[in-house]
Amino acid sequence: MNRRGITSAILAITLLAVGVWGAYQYQLKKDFEIALNNEYQRLLHDTKAHVSNVQVAMSKALLSDSLDQNVLLLSQIMQQATLAQDKLGQLPVSHSDISKTEKYLTQVSDYSYSLIKGHLDGNGMDNKQRQAMTKLQDYSQYLTNELSAIQDKIMSGQMTIGRVAQKERESLRDTNKDMLNTSLVKFEETMTQYPELIYDGPFSDQIINMKPKGLASKKVSKEEAKEIAENFLGNKRNLTLTMFEEGDQLDDIAKIPSHTFSVFTANDNKKPAGYISVSKQGGHIVWMNNIRSVSGISLSIKQGQDRALKFLKEKGFNSMEPNYSLRYDGIGVFNFAYKENDITIYSDLIKVKVALDNGEIVGFEAAAYLHAHHDREIPEPQISQDEARSKVRLDFNIDSIRLAIIPKGSKEVLCYEFKGKYKENDFIVYINALNGKEEQILQIIKDENGTLTF
Amino acid sequence: MKRLVLFLSILIIITFTAGAYHINESTQSVQAKEYSELQEGNLYWGSRGEKVKQVQSRLSDWGYLTGAVDGIYGADTYRAVRRFQRAHGLAEDGVVGAATAKAIGVSLGSPPAAQASTGLSREGDAYLLAKAIHGEARGEPYIGKVAVAAVVINRTRNPSFPNTIAGVIYQPLAFTAVADGQINLEPDAESIKAARDALNGWDPTYGCNYYWNPATATSKWIWSRSVVIKIGKHWFGN
Repeated sequence: MNRRGITSAILAITLLAVGVWGAYQYQLKKDFEIALNNEYQRLLHDTKAHVSNVQVAMSKALLSDSLDQNVLLLSQIMQQATLAQDKLGQLPVSHSDISKTEKYLTQVSDYSYSLIKGHLDGNGMDNKQRQAMTKLQDYSQYLTNELSAIQDKIMSGQMTIGRVAQKERESLRDTNKDMLNTSLVKFEETMTQYPELIYDGPFSDQIINMKPKGLASKKVSKEEAKEIAENFLGNKRNLTLTMFEEGDQLDDIAKIPSHTFSVFTANDNKKPAGYISVSKQGGHIVWMNNIRSVSGISLSIKQGQDRALKFLKEKGFNSMEPNYSLRYDGIGVFNFAYKENDITIYSDLIKVKVALDNGEIVGFEAAAYLHAHHDREIPEPQISQDEARSKVRLDFNIDSIRLAIIPKGSKEVLCYEFKGKYKENDFIVYINALNGKEEQILQIIKDENGTLTF
Repeated sequence: MKRLVLFLSILIIITFTAGAYHINESTQSVQAKEYSELQEGNLYWGSRGEKVKQVQSRLSDWGYLTGAVDGIYGADTYRAVRRFQRAHGLAEDGVVGAATAKAIGVSLGSPPAAQASTGLSREGDAYLLAKAIHGEARGEPYIGKVAVAAVVINRTRNPSFPNTIAGVIYQPLAFTAVADGQINLEPDAESIKAARDALNGWDPTYGCNYYWNPATATSKWIWSRSVVIKIGKHWFGN
């Protein structure tokens, strides 16, 4: 055999090997594509099923005259709308094309929950609520139709769902592939006429757009804000503050419009030692964060808490009560609630971080306090402590009782707070001090880092 | 000359195919390794401690290990474990799991008992957030990392987004670090610290739900957002 023959034979074999490898890779890719596509198909079918269940349950709820039946129907609406929203958020559609649809589904669920609360108090749907529900039902009908159309196209093979990356959109030559997006976008555009639902729930517009109550009225300039920040940190320390660039719409969009500063010490003018924020209205310190690492622990949690309390008093927060603490990486994070006349007001929350090596205050967070704190007219409890105790299970072992104000939607409610143990777990039960209703139950989880409530 | 070129090109093709095949093989075995490492108590490359020393001492006695018995599971120990596994018909993955430990005669001990009785904790959320921060904002100043985490948390409270942290992070087409797998890197200490701060309420974006890199963002829609604050490479807005 001559040389030429051998080399061509070797070349041919290696070429074959490359071809085999290429075919294998292609098959693998196809397998993954199919698996992913199957996943998306399932999500889409399910979304459509859930939305049509919502639509049916809504029409029944509008027809039904029985409070009990309505509660069951509203529970179904709540569950199916949540499932639809959850699954829609898993499809490969960009957020901008489904944001209003998602909002619609979340609020349908949320709104149903608030209607259930009303029903349990004995109130059926009033006229306004019926109108809102009718409008919501129209939208659910329209969405069901759109999703059915998409489902048909997929079944007949005209469309596949396979988008994996944003970039695919720009290089799309096959318009069929984008049909999922265009159909959903059509629905999204109809949603611009979506009415604002007035109700009290965590996802309602009125709660999301709530303005902070605890800001003083005086407006501060950039320079004044800088001075306030320097005073808070202690001027003797030779610090340089530089402001972050703000967007033009900061004042309209930010929850607490503020000036944010990087803090540099004398040793290092490249890497900030920390950051601090001052509200534009009222000149309050919104938060502060000192990012140094902590080496070694020489203070106990109790000592850290005492330092934090002392710090708060120095800064003018005189009536704060320590509630929960967390510890990690040598830093103690302490939660404080405002106390007025022996009543703990949980909504006015401040957090302080203490470095457990030398007791230095390395963090401060008061956004929740600035949102909620205001002069309150606290009513007198209408039921006695013993009456409230009778509303709680007898076998709940109570360790402590006191009065507290807890947030409830956009309002606040005065409660008796019972802390205790039930079947090996720690709980807190809140009984409304004005009408004896059970308002909230929280479970306390203790782990090696501290205590959390769930 | 022509013959030399021919030979070289054949060599390149062979190396390429062999290399590609090897990469396929090793990615699969890396995945398998990851799964068994996830079992609590297993010993694997990088482990340290008394248990590792026990394993090493036995393998050394039996002649599988030629390196030091120092309690550090490195390349020598890995190879020794594989030799042992091969000799005993066990799965050859270089990880001392339940079966291998039994064969060696070492008990792996019970997994850490620090879990609260109800099994609930926030550590899962904090770690996932830290991975997202690490993937998205590795080179950003600390406050930029807290801001990215705060955006994720703000989204869970917004009706237009999924309601869980995992739902927000893994929403398709939402974060580039999730799409290209950077989220699977091990987060550094700063990312974990930033995640914890964000979960405890520090929000340098004052309620924003969006952020983007003005140097690379091309979507018309994201540019229609209102800007609140600019931190490092990112602009934050709503």
